[in-house]
Amino acid sequence: MRIKKLAVLAMSALLVGGLLAGCSSNKEEKKELVLFTWEGMFPQEVLDGFEEKTGIKITFSNFDTDETMLQKLADAKGGDYDLVIADDYIIETAIEQGLVSKLDKEKIENFNNINPVFQSQFYDENDEYTVPYGAGIPLIVYNPESVNFEIKGYADLWNESLKDSIAITANYRVINGITLKSMGESMNVDDVDTIYKAGEKLKELAPNIRLINDDNTQNALLNGEASVAFLYTSQVTTALAENPDLKVVYPEEGLGFGIMAAFIPSQAPNSDEAHEFLNYILDPEVYAQCIEYIGYYSTNKAADDLVSDNLVLPDDAAEGEIIQNISAEAEEAHNKIWIEFKSECE
Amino acid sequence: MKNRTKLPNIYLGIIMTLMYLPIVLIVIYSFNESKLTSVWGGFSLKWYEQLFKDREMMEAIKNSIILAFSSCILSAIIGTIGAVGLARMNFKTKGMIEYLSNIPIMIPEIILGMVFLAFFSFINLPKGMLTLIIAHTTFCIPYILMMVKARLVGIDKSLAEAAKDLGASEIRAFFDITLPLIMPAVLSGSLLAFAMSLDDVVISIFVTGPKVTTLPIKIYTQMKFGVTPEINALCAIMLVVTIGLILVSTRIGRKKI
Amino acid sequence: MENFKKRKKSKLWLTIAPLYIFTLIFVGGPLIYMVALSFMSRAEVWGIVADVTVENYTKILEPIYIETFVQSFKLAFSTTILITLIGYPFGYFMAKLSPQWKKRMMILIMIPFWTSALIRLYGWIIILQSNGVLDKLLMGLHITDGPLKLLYTYTAVLIGMVYSLLPFMILSVYSSAEKLDWSLIEAARDLGATRWKTFLTVTLKLTLPGLLSGVILTFVPSMGLFFIADILGGNKIVLVGSLIQDQMTKGRNWPFAAALSVVLMIMTSLMIYLYRKITHTKDLEGIL
Repeated sequence: MRIKKLAVLAMSALLVGGLLAGCSSNKEEKKELVLFTWEGMFPQEVLDGFEEKTGIKITFSNFDTDETMLQKLADAKGGDYDLVIADDYIIETAIEQGLVSKLDKEKIENFNNINPVFQSQFYDENDEYTVPYGAGIPLIVYNPESVNFEIKGYADLWNESLKDSIAITANYRVINGITLKSMGESMNVDDVDTIYKAGEKLKELAPNIRLINDDNTQNALLNGEASVAFLYTSQVTTALAENPDLKVVYPEEGLGFGIMAAFIPSQAPNSDEAHEFLNYILDPEVYAQCIEYIGYYSTNKAADDLVSDNLVLPDDAAEGEIIQNISAEAEEAHNKIWIEFKSECE
Repeated sequence: MKNRTKLPNIYLGIIMTLMYLPIVLIVIYSFNESKLTSVWGGFSLKWYEQLFKDREMMEAIKNSIILAFSSCILSAIIGTIGAVGLARMNFKTKGMIEYLSNIPIMIPEIILGMVFLAFFSFINLPKGMLTLIIAHTTFCIPYILMMVKARLVGIDKSLAEAAKDLGASEIRAFFDITLPLIMPAVLSGSLLAFAMSLDDVVISIFVTGPKVTTLPIKIYTQMKFGVTPEINALCAIMLVVTIGLILVSTRIGRKKI
Repeated sequence: MENFKKRKKSKLWLTIAPLYIFTLIFVGGPLIYMVALSFMSRAEVWGIVADVTVENYTKILEPIYIETFVQSFKLAFSTTILITLIGYPFGYFMAKLSPQWKKRMMILIMIPFWTSALIRLYGWIIILQSNGVLDKLLMGLHITDGPLKLLYTYTAVLIGMVYSLLPFMILSVYSSAEKLDWSLIEAARDLGATRWKTFLTVTLKLTLPGLLSGVILTFVPSMGLFFIADILGGNKIVLVGSLIQDQMTKGRNWPFAAALSVVLMIMTSLMIYLYRKITHTKDLEGIL
């Protein structure tokens, strides 16, 4: 490839690159906030509103799963990030590992807006570390046009007529959990043999799996790639908004339940700004905007009147089972049956 | 030539068409009004508008260009003088160092990503642009080394020797004689390195820090998250820029002749 | 050696010093650390404990991980075979074109390199998805009645792999075939050899270095391209690459990830070693 032209091309590309880099690297000293959560957790207006109000520049950093978040946070030794929003059980681990700092509630005037139902949970019994951001119940949603029987519970996912047509989320604790539930066990069972038994059962589900994906799993349902999906609350909301004919199943074996909460890492470089942001999103109007956008259940009592009815948690739902941390051996077993399940899928 | 049939050309044509088919579709769908790619909702430029409004995307593009540019320059310097040195010298560990420097492109990227993440954590180097540049430089160097080395083989060594005999210093001889001769190789090596760096996702995902998102990482997250047609528009623009640069360079090439 | 040459050399070492230092620290260092890490054990929740153990290696021998290696090799083999079948004739025919067309083809092959590999894969999603371009075409031609479920299958992953790595094979074979002395082939034909025999005895033999380097350049990366299996395979195929990534992130087991990497690296290095033995060359052809 001794082509001269390509060399010239390289030069021009480098030149353009250099110019661009030179232009844009003007230094600005601005207050900033590094927000670490899943993609698509805040509407742009809310972020813009905060920047406008406070002059704090928000840097959005994403992770795909809770476990990745924990790895990155631990790797940064609790620094680098200013505010993290993640799931309940992983927060417990993060707190145990000393990666979370206590909140200074005096800086969060709106702290009392939080719905007490979602407080004092297992991961933060004294409400010292976290602010709940939303709650969810993963549910089965299906398209009655392409499923020829009524789905009532998790066990129906194993039905042979659903070959190659189920989309599921990628959190192995959740999927392994519903398998355990379909066997009448708890999602948090610590007995390794039971988990392996669930693994055997999970393998039988493999032929029915079309797609495993954590983000926007509902798309598979909407564009016809899958006819049944096991979805997070936000995805259920979006799916129904786009196609009201879809059917939602509250599985008869019992519901799972989860809370996402925000916390400030122990070595957060901009802890003050993080407190300011927490206070900002706890404002009922701002919070309502957020929750309408992400489609989870509201955890903010003051905002309940402002959000759509379907986003206020029904009273009985909070009885669902929350995924909690289990022993390292049990965790290892979960990890392993998940890999076995995945490799069985194709 | 005898026995020349049209068959080979048809074959080349078919494969080329297949190679460009996805790209053409992306360009077409970048003008699609509808968000879904299974539906054609009419012609629209709104995704282009949205792309330029997307601050995070612009930031990612900027980061990627800075990264590709820095690692490319760094590896061009290290690689070029290194290759010249290697060609002129013989020492015990020469084979070892050549082998070692080539490793980054000889093993699956995932290993490189994994070892860099572990290593940078081990030596407590905060992850961000610096770690990205280091990681990218390691896999850019081999491209330049190989190109320059191949070029050096074809160069008459006596030229530089003659210059030295005429009294030029070692450094003068390098800049006046050797460098101009190997420049095309340096440039095409840099070009390849630049393209590789600009497109790397596997290694970058591992070594990047909280504040730096490169373009491929951004695209990867968006694709996992469910694509917005914005990245179709981005692809179309990249294509236009590339073709534009090629046209410009062929123009320049012609004028010279 | 003459005295005055030695004097010159003493200055020359400066030219390789940066390469030496950089490579030792940032290639040698991490690799040594990887090997060391693979003999450590993971801490209860997070982190690494410096207890020397071979447990990480014995763990790889568990059926599920062996299976993962087998799967990865299968995919890499199928990818490489397909790429060879498609890419070899392409590179060969390309070398026979007129100089002007050679240049044009070269540019055409290089252009996609400058767009994002990920976005190009997305183009395949547009084609393969339910009611996508291919489905519509087939249904329009009344070849199929309903949407085929093509996306999120093994086939889709294979297509993505072949598509992403094909240019490397083409360039390798091309650079070998371009140096080919065509008169040799004509001579063989004149001596009465059949087309097939000429190909086997002359052409193939002379382009073997290019072909083999193409095989390496496609086989080695295909062991690690986990994102293609992610995006086109619906996350269902577990490859060594995705296993390493999982262990680094979700699994929080770095020592095991390191052990997996060591094994994978030994396997790929072995292939490159074989290549060098067969072709008696040091560098891979084609990326030049």
